[in-house]
Amino acid sequence: MAEFLELNNISKFYGNIIALTGVTTTVNPGEVTCVLGDNGAGKSTFIKILAGVHQHDEGTLLMEGEEVRFNSPREALGRGIATVYQDLAMVPLMSVWRNFFLGAEPKTGIWPFRQIDIEGAKRIAKEEMAKMGIDIRDVEQNVGTLSGGERQSVAIARASYFGARVLILDEPTSALGVKQSGVVLRRIVEARDQGLAVIFITHNPNHAYPVGDRFVILNRGVSMGNWAKEELSQADLTQLMAGGAELEALQHELAQAGT
Amino acid sequence: MTEATTTTDSAPSSPPVNDERLAHRGPVQQLLTRPEIGALIGAVGVWLLFWLVSAPFGTAGGTANYLDVAATLGLMAVPVGLLMIGGEFDLSSGSMTGATAVIVVLLSSDTAELGGAGLSLHLAVPLSLAFALAIGWFNGTLVDKTSLPSFIVTLGTFFILIGAKLGFTKLFTNKVIAEGLDRSGGYEFWDNIFGATWVRNGHIWENDGWSNLWSSRDWAWSGLLILGAVVLILGTMELAYARREKPNMGGYLIFVVGAAVGAINYILLLTQDSKSSNWIFGIITGAGVLVAVAGWCLARYQPAERASNQQERNPRIVQYFIAGLVAIVGAILIAAVMDSNNENRLDFLTGTPGRTVLAIGIGATGVLAVLAALGRVSVGYPAIGALIALIPGISYMITVQGARAILFGILAIAGVVVLSIAARRRGLAVLFTLLTAGAVVGLAFFIQSEADSRKLRVELFTALLLIALLLAASAVARLIAARRTSAPPPPVHGPLARQVGTALGTIAGLVSLILELADGDGILYSIIMAVAKGGIVAFAVFALATLYRTLFTSDESVGRSLVFVGLGSVMLGIAAKLMFITSEELAATRAETRFGVGVMLFLLFAVVGAWVLARTQFGNWIFAVGGNKEASRSVGVPAARTKTTLFMLVSASAWITGMVIAFRLNSVQANVGDGNEFRYIIVAVVGGCLLTGGYGSAIGAAIGAVIWGMITSGIGFATWNSDWRFLVLGALLLVAVLVNNYVRSQAEKVR
Repeated sequence: MAEFLELNNISKFYGNIIALTGVTTTVNPGEVTCVLGDNGAGKSTFIKILAGVHQHDEGTLLMEGEEVRFNSPREALGRGIATVYQDLAMVPLMSVWRNFFLGAEPKTGIWPFRQIDIEGAKRIAKEEMAKMGIDIRDVEQNVGTLSGGERQSVAIARASYFGARVLILDEPTSALGVKQSGVVLRRIVEARDQGLAVIFITHNPNHAYPVGDRFVILNRGVSMGNWAKEELSQADLTQLMAGGAELEALQHELAQAGT
Repeated sequence: MTEATTTTDSAPSSPPVNDERLAHRGPVQQLLTRPEIGALIGAVGVWLLFWLVSAPFGTAGGTANYLDVAATLGLMAVPVGLLMIGGEFDLSSGSMTGATAVIVVLLSSDTAELGGAGLSLHLAVPLSLAFALAIGWFNGTLVDKTSLPSFIVTLGTFFILIGAKLGFTKLFTNKVIAEGLDRSGGYEFWDNIFGATWVRNGHIWENDGWSNLWSSRDWAWSGLLILGAVVLILGTMELAYARREKPNMGGYLIFVVGAAVGAINYILLLTQDSKSSNWIFGIITGAGVLVAVAGWCLARYQPAERASNQQERNPRIVQYFIAGLVAIVGAILIAAVMDSNNENRLDFLTGTPGRTVLAIGIGATGVLAVLAALGRVSVGYPAIGALIALIPGISYMITVQGARAILFGILAIAGVVVLSIAARRRGLAVLFTLLTAGAVVGLAFFIQSEADSRKLRVELFTALLLIALLLAASAVARLIAARRTSAPPPPVHGPLARQVGTALGTIAGLVSLILELADGDGILYSIIMAVAKGGIVAFAVFALATLYRTLFTSDESVGRSLVFVGLGSVMLGIAAKLMFITSEELAATRAETRFGVGVMLFLLFAVVGAWVLARTQFGNWIFAVGGNKEASRSVGVPAARTKTTLFMLVSASAWITGMVIAFRLNSVQANVGDGNEFRYIIVAVVGGCLLTGGYGSAIGAAIGAVIWGMITSGIGFATWNSDWRFLVLGALLLVAVLVNNYVRSQAEKVR
């Protein structure tokens, strides 16, 4: 059976710089694929290839068994791949409902008087967010007044409403506090349960492990491997991420110093 | 999530967008968070100022004068405002207006004598539009492709255009002026378009008095004004108070009786002219209005609950009240003590002492500014130094009568404002509102007995009495009706009203278009008239539908519709007064009042701009690319195309402005429009557009342009020295920006 989204040995070069080599993984509906890596590991390059901002130089990208290549963000969106970026997900001075429908406003009326169906848009925005379990007070509220977690939530609700089949989340929890991170992780699980394929990019194994079904670890542009959840414990994950031996030595030292 | 389900239970129909956790904000509070509020307050203030100090300012002629100034500015300020909201500037916009005009004149004027190319205007005018669009496209594309700040890119275009205009004009004509447009081929056709005017003196609307109310202009316009004001007040009440389940018919009966008594006595008041009858009819009219308000509230709104704990909520209400009364008494004292005919300067601090104080003030400002910059004292201290420096200036510049007027104005306004703030606070609100109304009545009669000019004695007097009546009415309403606790649902217009309105409006517009064209009017003028007439018809249908919804349905959402109808009706009334003349007025005047096509286009631009921003997809994209370009691009907004379209919109408007200028004078100075780009930007900022993009309003930019026009021509009307113009404008800019800044911070505040 063909996987929904399959990446085989994807590589990307910027001139003579090797940004990413040999990334292989699969993404399936109802699953969360976590991409972990420290700063500079190639996570952003990875997202940008999937989101259509950059194109891969080697390897194959298969969507439902067919080889694809996204030349622009619009093209990726058209194939149902929605990306929620950490910092530029929203326009802060615009209201929640305007942000929700930005770029795909529902319209009503005949041509010269064609306008946004404002009441409809507000209603749908409110309903959709309620479906995701986000209880927003006022859809007229500016997004700038929302907390970081709420903003991510709005972006996720928007992506799932507009028929996204793959949801890419770029470090959604990195700027958030503990409680807020919890909120976003819950959204990820909800999106997964609604049948979306989720790609969750993070550098925090504690966030990745509870929600992930599959893990890709990147280190300095090289894929360290691709594991299903059964093959890995949380401790393994943390260790792999931190570069194994170094952390063990550090732990050992700290333990000694403590006693 | 249980809260989400409880809301649906309580609402009568259609899933509500509202949430019970949101406190309902009254209509006034909602208005206060609009971006254009600073400009609106400024416009009212400036209008009042010049209306008070100069006789011709408030007349149709004066209005035409300042609207004309406003139009040439506003035609550009609206699109420039949109561009600013979209996050970019166009410094070439000012010189572009002149460039399009120069191109048309140079292309079309006679080859031999005037140095032109001798083309027909049928070719020259579209060519200049093509040129303008090309420059706009160039600006937009360059800004997008290079990601350079538009400030730099358009600064380049700005200098290129200035240089090209001057260079080519001199090259071809050996002068710095290009002339002879009226001798070009096709002049009549294009002059009919861009030189079209509404000549007020040619549109007579008789005053037939009692015999025929409908054909009397003064009855029509004052009727529309009063009707509009009444509807506006009803709309505000509808937004503020909570509806009953079933209307109370007895209440309606009281309303009808009160309104009838009020109306009849008002007409009697207008027709009779003796002091005692004025008193009697005035009091009965006021009483009738209050009874009508009471009846309306009884009929429609839930009864107010008597809460005993409310009195403790605002202990400071008494202080406010006393402060307000002191201010009013102070105003009256100042008016009584100071001599209104004394034109001498105050001169309380001149010569060496004055210079000493001036030096101390300036020195203190400098020292304190340095200290403030070092963080030693707060930022307010240098302002104190500046105020000290101002004292000798005040003593030197201001006359006794001027000081009297200023102090009186400030104290009286402050008094009324503080009193109404006191009245708005809960607790003894009703009592205080009534007392405030009494204070305002006292002020009105004081002004009537004291003031010299008819304007103060009659018009300001009437206005103050109306304010007092309004305050009293609000006290009555508050006594009877309970405040709304949740926002009213969004308005639902029946499809019937919408379709009938659109259909009738379209028909009326088309008929008018054909008639105007058959009359030989220019295309543009005919289209504008057709749009206006079609709009009026559609508005009338909408007004009737709103009336029906108000009286015969339990629709809770009519408040906003009523406010809209009220505002529209007030504007129609003013337009009727401004656009039509009576034969008496015609006999009394020699000056001709005209509204150029520029003014009409300006108003159209403002309305269309506001609609585009608030309601269309393109408007949404404008806000988005200005607010966060990358985010909007990542969700599929074509950011580059949106920005380029905006640049082209600005240059197309520059073309229209250029044509209006060219066909007004039939010749163009090479430097026309240069430097105006900053005025456009200033006006847009005054109107609430954010310099960094993502926030603002088209109506605000238009109001900003009107303020500029009022100040520019108002200073002339008031026969002040026009050297002060920029001082006033600069001060206004600062004040407006501060107000807007405050408003925006309020709007962004999480509640």
